[in-house]
Amino acid sequence: MMWIFNSVFGKIFDFIFFLFRSMNPWIGMILISVLTALLMLFVFRFTSNQEGIKRVKNKIKAHLLELRLFKDSMSLSFKAQGNILRYNLRYISYSTKPMLVMIIPLILILIQLNFWFGYEALTPGQETILKVKLEEGHNPLDIDISLEPSSGFDIQTPPLRIEEEREINWRLQAREKGVHDLTFIVNGQKFTKKVSVAQRPLSKISPLKVKRNFINELINPGESPFPGDSPIKAIEVKYQSKDMNLFGWSIPWLFGIPPWLVVYFALSIILGFVLKGIFKVQI
Amino acid sequence: MNHIDRREFIKLSLAAGSLLTLGSSDLATKAFGKRETPQKVLILGLDGIDPRLLQLWMKEGKLPNFQRLARQGDFMPLRTSIPPQSPVAWSNFITGMNPGGHAIFDFIHRDPSRYFPVFSASETTETKKTVQIGNLVLPLSGGEVNNMRQGKAFWQILEDYDIPATIFKIPANYPPVPTKQRTISGMGTPDILGSYGIFNYYTTEAKELKENIGGGRIHPVNVIGNRVEAKLLGPVNAFKKDRPESAIEFKVFIDPVNPVVKISFQDHEFILKEREWSSWKRINFRMIPTQSVNGICMFYLKQVRPNFKLYISPINIDPGRAVLPISTPKGYSEELEKRFGPFFTKGLPADTKALDNDVLDDGEFLEQDDLALGERLDMFDYELARFSSGLLFYYFSSTDQRQHMFWRHIDKEHPAYDPTLAKKYGNTIENIYKEMDKLLARAMEKVDKDTVFIVMSDHGFSSFRRAFNLNTWLKESGYHTLINPWKQGREDLFMNTNWSRTKAYSFGLNSLYINQKGREAEGAVNLGSEKEALVREIASKLENFHDPKTGERPVLRAYIAKDVYQGPYVDLAPDIIVGYNHGYRTSWATPLGRIPKEILEDNTEKWSGDHCMDPEVVPGIILTNRKIKAKAPALHDLTPTILKIFGVEIPKKIKGKPIF
Repeated sequence: MMWIFNSVFGKIFDFIFFLFRSMNPWIGMILISVLTALLMLFVFRFTSNQEGIKRVKNKIKAHLLELRLFKDSMSLSFKAQGNILRYNLRYISYSTKPMLVMIIPLILILIQLNFWFGYEALTPGQETILKVKLEEGHNPLDIDISLEPSSGFDIQTPPLRIEEEREINWRLQAREKGVHDLTFIVNGQKFTKKVSVAQRPLSKISPLKVKRNFINELINPGESPFPGDSPIKAIEVKYQSKDMNLFGWSIPWLFGIPPWLVVYFALSIILGFVLKGIFKVQI
Repeated sequence: MNHIDRREFIKLSLAAGSLLTLGSSDLATKAFGKRETPQKVLILGLDGIDPRLLQLWMKEGKLPNFQRLARQGDFMPLRTSIPPQSPVAWSNFITGMNPGGHAIFDFIHRDPSRYFPVFSASETTETKKTVQIGNLVLPLSGGEVNNMRQGKAFWQILEDYDIPATIFKIPANYPPVPTKQRTISGMGTPDILGSYGIFNYYTTEAKELKENIGGGRIHPVNVIGNRVEAKLLGPVNAFKKDRPESAIEFKVFIDPVNPVVKISFQDHEFILKEREWSSWKRINFRMIPTQSVNGICMFYLKQVRPNFKLYISPINIDPGRAVLPISTPKGYSEELEKRFGPFFTKGLPADTKALDNDVLDDGEFLEQDDLALGERLDMFDYELARFSSGLLFYYFSSTDQRQHMFWRHIDKEHPAYDPTLAKKYGNTIENIYKEMDKLLARAMEKVDKDTVFIVMSDHGFSSFRRAFNLNTWLKESGYHTLINPWKQGREDLFMNTNWSRTKAYSFGLNSLYINQKGREAEGAVNLGSEKEALVREIASKLENFHDPKTGERPVLRAYIAKDVYQGPYVDLAPDIIVGYNHGYRTSWATPLGRIPKEILEDNTEKWSGDHCMDPEVVPGIILTNRKIKAKAPALHDLTPTILKIFGVEIPKKIKGKPIF
């Protein structure tokens, strides 16, 4: 079921970005930020107490004014500050409901956006590591596994088996552009994983394919999961993080937050404030 | 083996504190000058190309493009510097002066107040103002790196006339002298430890665990559960009171059967097969939460089984985030890094010490130098393509490094000659000459009638068969006295010297100093007639000394500094510059102030070709597409030649004369 949901939700994003795949990723980023801002405004408009927010904001403004007017009176100043705090708490309580309503769709959106903005596709000639992670109880030294040759890739090393990590690694070198299927034969069973090589500036990249499991599938919806009884826990292809470049300046990671996420939140919030007047939304 | 050579002397307590605080940040990387010059000058600096070998292979038709260029214009030997050492020779070329004018006399100078060797080309000083908070030491000002060469570089003069120049990796220009021209430093640029290059080698083989090797560290490791855990040491952490070495930990996962490993550290993981080089890997040594030092290095998996052997190259300064000044403007190295990825920044890229210490074999050394050469050729194409005005100077070091390390394969008389290896690697030197011939073809395509094309080398090469212990000769000749004669050969840095009874000593590769009163800490010879007579006496005796084994004179000429140098820095020069004969060079012990028992010994090292000899023994080359009028052109003649081509007034300080 989860996979069906992921497919449908993924298709929505495929559709949104379809026309923008060959353009600068900033175009797609601005588009999705506008859509997110509109979604946030819509949710705020219909799930929050708009009148209450308006009233509370006015109260806060009034008490701020009181604070300036009666700054010579300590008792009035303290009282005004107390009121500002009280109405701020009420403002937060009015905002909680829309926030709670938005949090789940926002997480699902972020998961999808990570596929589009989180990773850089491989380029022909570039090397990467392919990791097959096995389920508990399976030893990489005992398992019968092979990686089938592909026109898109050269397999540069024999399998590297790391017993303590239950991992089998290969080094691959990308050869041809496109989305390629890597095929593994594990104990006679066939498994595949998609790998992206130098596509358009904005392309969907799924680094991890996982085994069927609700949380796993929720977080890694890029590809259909392996069956639940598979000896493979996950297959991962190492991609480089995508660089968000603004007029030659490479936006850095911010306290562990990737550049695309910093840009996305900043743009969505700014656009939300810009558009709130047009849609007459109190936030 | 316990020698230290010129490559190692640069390990002179450079501080991480200064590493962190240097450099400016300008982003423009355009060549400075705006003038469209009617004439252009393209110079290829091919370090160490020897006129005899060049002529031989030209005659044999193996170097058609060198031949073509010689036919178009001229080909002559180029008089080199006294002594013919790269920093001295290139400084002659850069300034148009001899060492008396630019103050670079040897790879190694000495501090007469301490009888201590110092690196001649640059000086690093730590920050003096610090604040200590607990175990933390916070600098209040930056350290400094100074280029010790005096005199104006020719590209600085061109800058005054608005003539653009790009100077790629010219030796003796670290740190790059201030200029708005596009320059990147070459020989003399340290690794991030501040040394000429310290490799790391991890092995389970006990017999390889030599304690004291120059230019590298050997680490014993154990393979436990198909895994190796080890540390890669970085610069000293000057932010900590006890100045510990910084380090990063890394893990190596080994396949139980296949000769393949995965190496992981920081955010890197990569797979290597046996006998395979990695690409450049970025390393970040964190000093304190807000300060770190970036470097780049390559991994080479030498062997997986039966013994695990992993080599890590010296950690080069990251050109994309340089912690020391390596280019002008700073953005030039960043621009190159963006276009080509990380690249060798250490002065001489190939690791001669790893080859000397059998950590890399001949083939592995060549693979490493091929990587460096490939990088440099790619960047050459880039610079050549955008060269449209002014001057482009482009330098290649592989010619020098390969002749140093592979001469033993072309000289059957060399003590390190091995017929089996000679059969395999005997063509190495010829091949690099051929590679340079192909380079000429690429360059000549760009050369039009308005371009003066010059191909030059700073010196030639000769075999280094016998090593001359100059300090031992001084001792045996009565000019140097030991405190404990029975300790001879055991102490470095003249620790066993009785200075009050010593008249002369040698530091560096060609330098001999009189222990002069008032100059040296414990001088014993009076300035004036006493010193004059002593200098001439020693020079004469050196020239007349014969090798008892071969009957040859190891010293062809002993030059007296004040006879051969002119300029304001003659007083800083060594008193005698020793010009060695073919086959001879100073020993590995002499530059370190060590006094072995024998005056002469066979050189059994892989470092088998050399040029720190008499300038007449190892002249360089000049080929150009113009006729040369000068009868015996010299390195310092090229500087005024360049200025004359651009119609620039030649400063009076320049000693050379235009060759056209």
